[in-house]
Amino acid sequence: MVGPIYIIAIALGLAFAMGLFGKALKGITGALLMLGLAAMTFISGQWLWAFLTDSVTTTQIFTAGFKPPYSINLQMGMEEAILTFIINVAGLLGATYMYQTFSKKGEQLKMIFLVFIMSMNVTVMTRDMFNLFVFLEIESIALAGLVLMSNTGKAFQAGMKYLIATGIISGLLLLGIIFAYSFTGTLNIDDMIGAHLGTIKASSVAVFLILVAFILELKPFPANGWGLDVYTAAHPGIGALVSATVASAGVYVLYKVMPIAGQEWYYYVSLIGALTFVGSNLMGTRQNTPNRLLGYSSIGQVGLLMIILGLQDYLGDKTAFIAFGILISHYAAKAGLFWISGILKANDIKDWAALRKNPFLLFLFGTFLFALIGFPPFPSFFAKWELIMTLSTQGQLVWIAVILVGSFIEGIYLFRWLGYALKLDHSELPSLNITWNKMIPIWVMGMSLYVLGVYVTPMVEFGRYINYIPLLFILVMFALDFLPVYIKNTLSIGGVVWYMIDLWPRIEDDLMRQIFAVIFLGGAVITLAAGYSKKGTRKGFYPMALLMFAGLVGIIEASSMIDFFFSWELMTAGSYFLIIRGKRSMPHAYSYILFSIAGAYAILMGFGLAYGSNLDAGLTALGNISFLPTLAYSLLAVGFMTKTASLGLHIWLPGAHGEAESDVSPMVSAILLKAGVFGLMLLFLFIGTDNPNATKLLYVLGWVGALTTLVGNMSAAFQEDAKRLLAYSSIAQLGYVLFGLAIMTHMGWMASFTYTINHFMFKSILFLVIGGIVVKLGTHNMFEMGGMIKKMPFSFIAVLISIIVIGGIPPLSGFAGKWLFYNAIIEKGWYFQGAIIFFAGIIAFLYLYKLIHSVFLGQLKDNHRNMTEISWWILGPVYVLIIGIMIFSAFPQYVLQPIGEMLNPYFNTEIVSWEGTKAFTKLGYWDGTTIMIVVGTAFVLLLGWLISLSRKAQKVKQFNIVYAAERPFRPETTHVSYNIYAGYKKALGFLVAPGITNFWNTVSDMVLDIAGWLRRIYSGSIQNYTLHVIVFIVVFYLITIGGL
Amino acid sequence: MEYIIISIGFALVLLGLYGIMYMRNLMRIIIAFTLFNTGINIVMVSIGYIRNASAPILDAIPAAGTTPNIVDPVPQALVLTAIVIGLGVTALMLTYVVKLHQDKKSLDINNFKDLKW
Repeated sequence: MVGPIYIIAIALGLAFAMGLFGKALKGITGALLMLGLAAMTFISGQWLWAFLTDSVTTTQIFTAGFKPPYSINLQMGMEEAILTFIINVAGLLGATYMYQTFSKKGEQLKMIFLVFIMSMNVTVMTRDMFNLFVFLEIESIALAGLVLMSNTGKAFQAGMKYLIATGIISGLLLLGIIFAYSFTGTLNIDDMIGAHLGTIKASSVAVFLILVAFILELKPFPANGWGLDVYTAAHPGIGALVSATVASAGVYVLYKVMPIAGQEWYYYVSLIGALTFVGSNLMGTRQNTPNRLLGYSSIGQVGLLMIILGLQDYLGDKTAFIAFGILISHYAAKAGLFWISGILKANDIKDWAALRKNPFLLFLFGTFLFALIGFPPFPSFFAKWELIMTLSTQGQLVWIAVILVGSFIEGIYLFRWLGYALKLDHSELPSLNITWNKMIPIWVMGMSLYVLGVYVTPMVEFGRYINYIPLLFILVMFALDFLPVYIKNTLSIGGVVWYMIDLWPRIEDDLMRQIFAVIFLGGAVITLAAGYSKKGTRKGFYPMALLMFAGLVGIIEASSMIDFFFSWELMTAGSYFLIIRGKRSMPHAYSYILFSIAGAYAILMGFGLAYGSNLDAGLTALGNISFLPTLAYSLLAVGFMTKTASLGLHIWLPGAHGEAESDVSPMVSAILLKAGVFGLMLLFLFIGTDNPNATKLLYVLGWVGALTTLVGNMSAAFQEDAKRLLAYSSIAQLGYVLFGLAIMTHMGWMASFTYTINHFMFKSILFLVIGGIVVKLGTHNMFEMGGMIKKMPFSFIAVLISIIVIGGIPPLSGFAGKWLFYNAIIEKGWYFQGAIIFFAGIIAFLYLYKLIHSVFLGQLKDNHRNMTEISWWILGPVYVLIIGIMIFSAFPQYVLQPIGEMLNPYFNTEIVSWEGTKAFTKLGYWDGTTIMIVVGTAFVLLLGWLISLSRKAQKVKQFNIVYAAERPFRPETTHVSYNIYAGYKKALGFLVAPGITNFWNTVSDMVLDIAGWLRRIYSGSIQNYTLHVIVFIVVFYLITIGGL
Repeated sequence: MEYIIISIGFALVLLGLYGIMYMRNLMRIIIAFTLFNTGINIVMVSIGYIRNASAPILDAIPAAGTTPNIVDPVPQALVLTAIVIGLGVTALMLTYVVKLHQDKKSLDINNFKDLKW
């Protein structure tokens, strides 16, 4: 095997050769550079391979024929192998990326670049303190040289600041080294560790200086203005390396020297890390310059790594996995993002909309962002999971909270950015001119994230059960994205059906999972089938829809918490991309994803508490939470309620559902929301009845459910936008479900199941039909519609049947739900909440009337005179669902009786007993079949009678009336349904005043204001930055040694 | 004696930091930076100093079993390296000053605040 010393020899040799014989070598220096970097990569790569296959052990390399302390020694172990490998790979890819730039700028730059990469290799490998200092200085000088390459005034300023700041820091380091030397008589790091300097009062100054210098090298908040400027002004190719490799090497160096200080100091490293992670991300929220934003994010990620290093006592042998998982994701993502930035050359993240001109780049951009946030299947996801779980077992809740808050703040700006790239207008932006040598490095980084993610999956407990087959299918769909809609649609439906067949035997004994499987996968088939009505290729739609469905079905199948969370995040990612497809969806998808991430983190923390209680990652751990159970249950409930859009967490829904594409609305409304319901059901079943730790929580949730219903229904009644009306109606319906579940009785759960099944069916119908009409008429506003009954009779019948179900009017299944509901409320004795629910039920009639009247009845508009029925591709699935409703209404016992039997073991409250078609409770009985027959007969008789009567009637044409004066100019002024409930609004409108929306707006404004205020410390003056560094040192000193 | 020297070293360090933070002219800042470096070098040398010992230059191989009465050579070696590195950094800083001056025709540090927030 080639010794690691040759990494240094090759780089130095080539650099000297280029320096000395630059003229003679002209023409082949580019090739030499690439060859040299490739050789360095190969050397570290073969060591890495050897360590991975366990064929070598950690090796020391001695120089000059002596052993330390008389010589400098290098160490090559697993960690060094990984780090030198990623540094050299980034060097090789970075040089590929900057090939043209290098060719233009001459030999010196290539020389410096080689020295730059080499110096980082040495800082990683060396075990000699002074040697470390020397190569850190070489790294700084080389980097400052590379910054000059940009040849702009800003780059000069940034480089100057960087030189001064690192000069001061290395001065401190020198002092620390000489003090440590005077106490230990050695410069060898391992000997210094053995001397336990940190425990002796006198030598702790040496420890302090060394530690603070290496921490400052990592650009901790707030003493990092000089570092940010380098990210901002340097060539993006250099920025990529600063972020990916300098940060990686720096973190490893800190890890290497921390033992010199000893464990008492670790806590402070975490503290600074936390400050940096939260502070840097917070200020990123106000940043619009891409490279500077990436700088904030880089520093934030390094802060997270510092937290991890500082907590290594708690993390134990998981430290390496966690730290490398975060580090690698950061490394690949940041390098890729900087390289993309170099291609776009934009000064504002809004101009990243140009990415849509190249779908591959857009795909990679999304990959990098999701990897940074820690979505599956990237390594950061598993690292974060292990981090939270391990910290939970140690009871470190505050650290968990800090980490999750920091991650969330990072999400604020990363998803704003993604939204801009996906939605903003790019017609004015210049088209991209991408050469292959710029594209390859970005691809390598992007793909390695996926590969590494899959590679590390089995290393996590229960990770090997995670099913990657659906993701493979999605990948294939990505590859086939160029095909027309009908082929991809058929393939997608085929995939879903195949999965359903494959899944069914596995959930054969589990009715609850079967019901949700039908809702998720059956719903998938139905809503996808409606997609045949679309033309063209619908780029990106199918992979994302399938991603959401894969996540949904994964939640059902999950047997462990990690599997559940993995699927939950996939579902969130998929649904985000679906929602943002709508024309005006950018802000709504943004608020959806922020609520979703916050909810996911609440779930993660809840899972952490469950894991901490049991040391078991199986889903059953939720049933036995002994460690802060009330907190755990509340966190989980809140997490799931972000998906059911319960009151307070609902503000994302109306926009997200209302503005989504016509067939996406039913997917995210009728189907996606049920994920939250499933989560809540799972949680409540694990909580069990009479759990003393959850009584209050359930009571509160009951109220939340009732109020959600009221507010949802009232808001729906005041809408003029048909789809938003339906969206608010969904909020209300999910409120019923939550209320029924929170009752925690047999009857309440029966009601909730009935509502869940009903809502799935009627909301699919309504969103499909209304969505189809909206597309056809080109407007969302109900007051611009009217008289559609004659043009779209089949749509009318579908909507009519649906609203009968929502209204809970016999004979359809909505009545079953209501009947069970009132039984449950009376049994439980929650009369106040019951009254609210009852009141809300009446309000529902208002919006239902408004919906059907405004759209289908009333006067036909002039411009709609030639309208025809909506596509049969939409009506087909709709009528399948109507048949479903009819069967469920006429024979409820076939569904509800098994559900009742399933629920029996969980509840000891009064049950619904069945006799044939009759359902009995204490309060009475109900017979779906008989009601259906009676009402059906009456309906048919009445209809026949009406038809026979109307035979003699004279048909009146629309304009066969006296029409005064002119045509109304503004439709809303004459439409009877416009603002139809003005009176009610005056009386009760305060209840639906956007108080909650205002609350969240205020919160977000406050966060942004704080960020805007804080970042003023970055005044641009190096003298201020120097002051920051010195104040940082003094404060750190006062806290650590001064005992502040 | 050694206390005086180490004190001078620290005084130079502080003076250098003061200069870096309060001077307006870039050249003066660089001079302050070199003062800072010199101060650190003096501190390093004085830490390796042993009273009444001579410079670590051996004329002959010391006899077995005896220890020559010299000061610790390691800090001196380190200082030599540090001086060389300091030279490199200073040279690069001066290069930057030339570039900055070409850009704005000014040496006033207050004119170079284009990157902020």
